Amino acid sequence: VSKVASEEAISAVAQRLFVGVMCPLVLGGQLLPGHAIGEQTARWLGQHPALLSTAPDHAEAVLRVYGARLSRARLLAPIDRLELQGSGAEWTLAAALHDVLQSANPAFDSPLRRTAATRVLALASATLAGVPAPATVRDALSRHSWFARVLDIARTDTSVSWWLGTRTFLGVEAPARLRAWPELRRVRVAASRRAVLDLAPIAFDRDLLVEALSRLLSKTPLTDLATCTRPAPAFAWSESTLALVATRAGRTLALRALARLPAGDVDSALGRATRQLFVQKRAAVSGPALAVLAERALSDAQLHAQASRAARQPARQPPSPSDAAFARAIGAAVAREQLESVHAWSGRERRELLPPLERALRSEAAREALAVMAAMPRAGDRVPA
Amino acid sequence: VLERIALHQTRLHTPGLGLDGKGVALGAKGLVLLPSIDRLVAFLAVYTRERSLEDLMPSLAMHVVRSKLGTREITLEFAAESSDRMDRVADTARLVGGFTFTGTSRHFVQYRDASAPFGYDATQLLATDAAVALYHQGFSQTYELERRIDLRPLLLRLMPQVDPSTRVESGLRILVAEQGLGPALVHYLVRSHVEGEVCVAEWPPESSFDESPVRRWIVRVPEVPARMRSLLHSTPGITCFVPAGPGVAVEAGYRHPVELRACPVFDAAGLVLLRGRGGEPWDIASLPPMGALTAFARVELRTSGAEAAATRDVRQADVVRVPLRVVPSTKPWRNVTATWIEPAQVPLLRRLAYALPQVTLAQARVAMTARGAFLRLQAGIEAIPLGTFFVEVHPGLYLPAGHEVLPSVGPEVLSRALGAPASRVLFVGTDARAVAVEESAFVPLEASLLAAPPWEPAVAEAIDAALAAEPIDLRVTSIGLMPLRGVDAAEPEDR
Repeated sequence: VSKVASEEAISAVAQRLFVGVMCPLVLGGQLLPGHAIGEQTARWLGQHPALLSTAPDHAEAVLRVYGARLSRARLLAPIDRLELQGSGAEWTLAAALHDVLQSANPAFDSPLRRTAATRVLALASATLAGVPAPATVRDALSRHSWFARVLDIARTDTSVSWWLGTRTFLGVEAPARLRAWPELRRVRVAASRRAVLDLAPIAFDRDLLVEALSRLLSKTPLTDLATCTRPAPAFAWSESTLALVATRAGRTLALRALARLPAGDVDSALGRATRQLFVQKRAAVSGPALAVLAERALSDAQLHAQASRAARQPARQPPSPSDAAFARAIGAAVAREQLESVHAWSGRERRELLPPLERALRSEAAREALAVMAAMPRAGDRVPA
Repeated sequence: VLERIALHQTRLHTPGLGLDGKGVALGAKGLVLLPSIDRLVAFLAVYTRERSLEDLMPSLAMHVVRSKLGTREITLEFAAESSDRMDRVADTARLVGGFTFTGTSRHFVQYRDASAPFGYDATQLLATDAAVALYHQGFSQTYELERRIDLRPLLLRLMPQVDPSTRVESGLRILVAEQGLGPALVHYLVRSHVEGEVCVAEWPPESSFDESPVRRWIVRVPEVPARMRSLLHSTPGITCFVPAGPGVAVEAGYRHPVELRACPVFDAAGLVLLRGRGGEPWDIASLPPMGALTAFARVELRTSGAEAAATRDVRQADVVRVPLRVVPSTKPWRNVTATWIEPAQVPLLRRLAYALPQVTLAQARVAMTARGAFLRLQAGIEAIPLGTFFVEVHPGLYLPAGHEVLPSVGPEVLSRALGAPASRVLFVGTDARAVAVEESAFVPLEASLLAAPPWEPAVAEAIDAALAAEPIDLRVTSIGLMPLRGVDAAEPEDR
């Protein structure tokens, strides 16, 4: 610590990070990124969790954040305890997020400051690259409890027009003097919210911002899956997400998180990402992804079977785009193999579940899926138990 | 053999016997046993005195039956339908000395009476192939059918009874005159200005010695003048008949024992004339077309003279026209259903609208014109105490309340004189000048009352997510003069 800064300075940064970023990231409210933290300090924050104890005046906020994180985690798993202050990796991730958001500060968009913004973003990306993937499902769930709403961050830009002119205030309140005498001065105030990826102006290429956020999401795989229907950054099977769904518990959490999203959008996102695995010659690692799709296909088939037993018309699925159809088809293909090879299924279940799966395999996308399946290793090698 | 049916008893021995809604034992048929034909006639006479046989006719069957001892009796069968019908029949049968039974096919038990309000049940049935087996408290008897009795021949065979009162009754008369008397009778009636219709009917020869059919004149006279009655009733060769029902008439001075109007067995297109003194009825299967008596009046032609002289000068009579006046009247106000509100009072109507009940607003119809507002309310315009009240004297024609027109012409005449088309509503003022308002200009008061208030669309937003969590609002802070101060890359050993 002595090499970089005093303990007090580190603690002050931690306080600022907690109050300005981590607390509103969980509870909502005003998110106030301040002076950039940098890679070195961010790593120190992660490596010395003893310095992270918050000041007594923030104790109540810590408890509120803890309760909110627990609520968030309980949406996916019935747990009663999380790490109160968060792990070191989570603090490092939060510091990196702080710097990513600060780099998008419109004040950097001036001739002599753009380099600084790029530097801050580059250091934040380097910080993210240095954070290891979650070692356990519990870690993944804990990180998700912090960063579940990272894509909900939005800036409110206010445009004030009056009889003599117009001014726009980015992320700050318009001064009261400009809003005074609204009738006399014919004041109009228009507020608009910009999502984090739509922030403008920014001092660097927007792709760098998207890449940095993508890297952040890859470090919290459960959040990555739980927001897979986002427009950008597009969901892709990363090593950490594949590692998460490779475990039984992780796959269960992932399926629960996906169940909270529109099914068609999820199928599209997962189908596109799975297809990318094969395009990028990463079929060997696609087993966990296929397992997720197979379980979703089996779940759909069971819903159809229940509806048939109740003599109800099953909900008709709208015509799906090719990615979604691919996801359903390849999931159905894997699920059919499981039904035929795994002896845990009873004969009655097989008879009920196979017809819906067969229907999913009649689509155009099913041919592609079956061709992909044929070129893959043996079934027992690719799908995790 | 018979036992009384108890209250709430459900099990009966007699086949085809059931309990109706009142708990009375009832089969599909009713049967009346009468000792002789005169009792049958009495039964019909009593029954038809108050009600028609029309409902019984489809199922009515009368038979002469013979018991084992050879006695002959009369049975009258009909559909039982309900205990109400059976009660009426039983009352009538009791009056004429008959017995009433009920059953379905062969076994008939005694119908209920005062001692057994729910009827009787036969505990032991007779083993018989007879057509009818009757079980009565006093006897159990089987009968064989001997022959059928049809109602129409029976009625025709019955001799009318003497009843002089029918001669003096007013109303339609049918006069039948022998062939030789017919023309004279017709001329007599024409000469006496008696209206009527006449035709000639033919009957087959009465014996093989007659060569030609028997022709008689039939005259139908709606009302015979009193002075002619004795002549028509007493002249040999002329018989006067009184209609006794559709398609049947009885000779005047006689009355049929059965009320023939209650017996729908005669064809209305034909005519059956029942004669007194034991004469055979005259039956006309289809009455020939009848002509007016006046067509048979004696015709006389002028022997000389030209055609009718043509008029040479046609002048229209002078028209008498007087101006219309509307004057106060002391007659009570009736049908006050409209008001004429002057333009100066229209603001008052606007204020009053806030106090009017919804029913009045919904039913009142208003037409706004340059002469003011015209309000119409069918339930009475008193609910809107404004303007000059008007009375609707004719559809689409209104007069001031408490006024009448002079000369006192009828509303139809007034409406015709004003000559307004049906699509306009006329309001005649006290100055006798009329204002016509298009009917289509009247619209519901509630529809024309409200000024359209300004409105703005409220866009519903998805609020579930907003309620779930407070939004994260990224605020922009100052980056300071040295935004990279203290922002360092990690040392290689820290990575």
